[in-house]
Amino acid sequence: MNARGAVRVEFTPEQRAEVRRLQGLYPDRRAALLPVLQLAQEAFGHISLEAEEYVAGLFDLSPAHVHEVVTFYTLFFREPKGRHVISVCHNLTCHLLGAQQVLAHLKERLGVEVGGTTPDGRVTLLGVECLCACEMAPMLQVDDRYEGNLTREKVDWILEGLA
Amino acid sequence: MAEKILTRNFHLPGSHTLVLYRETGGYAGLEKAFAMKPAEITEEVKKSNLRGLGGAGFPTGVKWGFLPQGHPGPVYLVINADEGEPGTFKDRYLLERDPHALIEGMIISAYAIGAHLAFVYIRGEYVQPWRIFGRAVAEAYEAGLLGKNIRGSGFDLDVICHRGAGAYICGEETGLISSLEGKKGWPKLKPPFPAIRGAFGAPTIVNNVETICHVPHIMNRGAAWFAGLGTKSQGGTRMYSVSGHVTRPGVYELPVSATLRSLIYEHAGGIPGGRRLKAVVPGGSSAVLLTADEIDATLDVDGLKNAGTMAGSAGVIVMDETVSIPEALMVVARFYAHESCGQCTPCRESTGWIYKMARRIVEGKGRKEDLDTILDVARRGAGTAICAFFDGAVGPYISYIEKFRHEFEALIRK
Amino acid sequence: MVRLTIDGKEIEVAEGTNIIEAARRLGIEVPHYCYHPGLSVAGQCRLCMVELGNNPRPQIGCNTQVAEGMVVRTDTPKVLEVRQSIMEFHLINHPLDCPVCDQAGECWLQIYYMKHGLYEPRMVDEKVHKPKAVPLGPHVMLDAERCILCSRCVRFCDEVTGTGELGIFDRGDRSEIGLFPGRELANPYSANVIDICPVGALTDRDFRFAVRVWYLDTAKSICPGCSRGCNIDVHYNIRRPHHNQGRRVARLKPRFNAEVNRWWICDAGRYGYRFVDDPSRLGAPARGRGDAAQEVGWEEIIPLVTAQLRRYRPDEIGVVASPKMANEDFFLLRRLVDHLGLIHVDFRVPPRTPGDEDRILIKADKNPNTRGAELIGLGPRPGGLDARGMLRAARDRRIKCLWVFHHDLQASAWPAAEVGDALRAVECFIYQGSNSNGVSAAAHYVLPSAAWVERDGTFTNFEGRVQRFWKAVEPLGLSLADWEILGRLGAALGLGPEPASAEACFKALAASAAPFAGLSYRELRDTGKVLSA
Repeated sequence: MNARGAVRVEFTPEQRAEVRRLQGLYPDRRAALLPVLQLAQEAFGHISLEAEEYVAGLFDLSPAHVHEVVTFYTLFFREPKGRHVISVCHNLTCHLLGAQQVLAHLKERLGVEVGGTTPDGRVTLLGVECLCACEMAPMLQVDDRYEGNLTREKVDWILEGLA
Repeated sequence: MAEKILTRNFHLPGSHTLVLYRETGGYAGLEKAFAMKPAEITEEVKKSNLRGLGGAGFPTGVKWGFLPQGHPGPVYLVINADEGEPGTFKDRYLLERDPHALIEGMIISAYAIGAHLAFVYIRGEYVQPWRIFGRAVAEAYEAGLLGKNIRGSGFDLDVICHRGAGAYICGEETGLISSLEGKKGWPKLKPPFPAIRGAFGAPTIVNNVETICHVPHIMNRGAAWFAGLGTKSQGGTRMYSVSGHVTRPGVYELPVSATLRSLIYEHAGGIPGGRRLKAVVPGGSSAVLLTADEIDATLDVDGLKNAGTMAGSAGVIVMDETVSIPEALMVVARFYAHESCGQCTPCRESTGWIYKMARRIVEGKGRKEDLDTILDVARRGAGTAICAFFDGAVGPYISYIEKFRHEFEALIRK
Repeated sequence: MVRLTIDGKEIEVAEGTNIIEAARRLGIEVPHYCYHPGLSVAGQCRLCMVELGNNPRPQIGCNTQVAEGMVVRTDTPKVLEVRQSIMEFHLINHPLDCPVCDQAGECWLQIYYMKHGLYEPRMVDEKVHKPKAVPLGPHVMLDAERCILCSRCVRFCDEVTGTGELGIFDRGDRSEIGLFPGRELANPYSANVIDICPVGALTDRDFRFAVRVWYLDTAKSICPGCSRGCNIDVHYNIRRPHHNQGRRVARLKPRFNAEVNRWWICDAGRYGYRFVDDPSRLGAPARGRGDAAQEVGWEEIIPLVTAQLRRYRPDEIGVVASPKMANEDFFLLRRLVDHLGLIHVDFRVPPRTPGDEDRILIKADKNPNTRGAELIGLGPRPGGLDARGMLRAARDRRIKCLWVFHHDLQASAWPAAEVGDALRAVECFIYQGSNSNGVSAAAHYVLPSAAWVERDGTFTNFEGRVQRFWKAVEPLGLSLADWEILGRLGAALGLGPEPASAEACFKALAASAAPFAGLSYRELRDTGKVLSA
């Protein structure tokens, strides 16, 4: 932890060993950039500008080019996120089968707008494009798992399970 | 009932394990392949009429044949597991329920094209599938099915599982390659095509998950058998993802000669509540919409092409009479605007603009010129971009308006 | 060589040439934004579409290499329609900033829009908003809304300077050019991105709101900032003297020279013109030191200076020429020095801070014509002192007359006290230069030089390339080109009539000094010639 209580942006020796392993895995070490950014996000909670500069240094890349990558992909969080991330699909099938109601219910239950995080840091609520689980529409992704065939009750049940 | 090939083990507990895969005949195709010469395998795949099942429908054997002969450096195999086409979820099923089918297919394909390094690019949101597939890869390594001198064949293959980070455009083969190389998922200019110059500058074959899963079966039972399952120009079965207003949404494996009508009504149980069918997205959201009287088309690449649409990723979204097509267009237009990579001008600017117009129409602020503007912009932009993403967007932009213009006009008149 | 047909005209070009370049050689313009011959191919703007053979779909020209027998059409209805479409797409989110945008008049959106555009705009929705007026560094201003995302600037910083400061962030129509937050675009070539930006997204902070480009005239020139001799164009404004605070030289731009600087110049050179219209310019000859100083005319100063030169023995006179002078000036000075039999002649004065150098363009020698001085022979004669020796001799009163050209000796590596002592001690100090500086106030006689943009001439760069520079504006006040001053002094000293022009001086130089033999202004053309010595 640094003075602000935030996680210090530096990999542990084990993590640095993993970075080296990843860099050596590919024909060009730059290919390890996405996996290392994913590692950084796990380690530091989100990818701050400081983290971008740190990772850029590990690859001898200009920070601008790391920033390009981080801003391009939707799964990189550039601000601190909640302990849990709920991504509600709002693409075609889910929209046809009630995604808007799911989002409205979650907004009301959590007291946040889409894109926001609850003040207690528990949940970040996102609206996302097709997660390719249309057979269980309307559906959402909560952390690592998919939950579908959502009803109000099921959504409440999902929320109850989040510490 | 047609034979299930790819989905035959889906219902079995432990279907994702090596033990069960082997019990049900897995890795027999690999033995057969190692007894053949690589060029013979490519020939067999050509004869089987296997076509790409990710969206483009290109004949797989022909694609493999584009690789330069006697290339001095490495050749790479890349598996496109960046499933992202709205309405499609079949690859997810394969990764979760039959990962070894993909692994066996990869080994045979890599052997055929001379690749010793294969990358499996899995979309970042597929966390469970990635974990399951990763465990299967570990099992394969332990069993000597991956790594050095596979099953004493003298053939080496390493597999790298590479996670995406959230971008539909990484499902485009050169966008995927750019992302794999550690950059933004910007598609590359073609020519050169990946078979000539792809990942890391080396000749590369990019194939969809499902496509590769067919390869062991083609080895096992022969090209003629596979070709015979389908139509004259496309062999085999394929997995249809059916969702929307149907009683039984899910994955259905059918021969490619089946009809859209049979898929919707016989297999997926038709539309609940006795409602009428209004429209069907037949091949992922980038396919031209079909109306209720156009669903007798066969589901093969040429059949749907002749029906004025495309087989694409075989993502079938069923829409009943309660659906507002203008609203559906807005949702789809929002998707394309969000996912445009931004690299080239026609797509970057038009996807955003068309979404704004589509949304304005749904909000009741449409102008009478808007419909023709959307159609004209879509037509003018088609064929001008770096990749086929915009052409995919053009499918819904034009077909939703042309086939349901009265619904749009009603919103504008209000 | 490959033979192909473009718009019915046959041409033969080298293998590997792309269609845009091949068409250019036929005088056919294929409009484009992202393509630049000095950068990698991006293929992003999609404007350079052409029809190839029987292919129903137009293809981009920048990424298509010529092939034997290829048939290209750039003028079909399909091509013209595609251009219209692409132009429309470029303008969808482009702000209507023309009235306040510096690029107006040299903006490729404007130019191509007028030629190829869809003239009825039909985009009525809110445009995407992005940051405007963002200083990226000391020289470059960004307006992200105007940016057409051609990526030329990104590629420049990656491929030419290798510094990688710029990127395109986010995606879709939210894509935005920018720096890594908190960083600066401060590499020594940063302002080149202004030249290559086709629109007003990247503009010159120095030129911001200065003068409209349609009031500018241009003269070809050479940058005097170092011994590289980058080719430039001088853009000057004499049509609207009340704009740009009366400054005549508005900006310098690089001029393409495949052998010297290609498309680029460094920032130091680009902004090295400010002394020309600066208040410190010496506008008239002057005599007398300090409070006794008084401006006089040439008719008065020439005889005065001539008398001083005659008064002293040759070994009592020291001449410190400057490697900023032109070959023509050196030739006349050499003639004068030889005529008077002077032995203490030099041109080398070391700077306080050694110059920086890199492997791109920048040379450590911050003078344009050191080679010229060497080749024409402005060094110490046998038994003569070098510049440092002359200073010491001046302090000791062994040198009684010191004639310094352009140098600010107080800014040199030599101790300021030493310089001050020498200048105070010397009986006669003649300063010839364009601007007042740390030593000119101590001069007994001031001869005002015209700046390099105010006269014709040639410089010899570090590799012996002789390059012409052309006069852009008139000399300020009564200032004259160094060759002209030296010509008048020479005439007064009995050397014969003053040369009529810089070219006449060059002709005489070519007739006498071996390395320059056979050269002429005509032969030097626009790109210069390397001496065979």
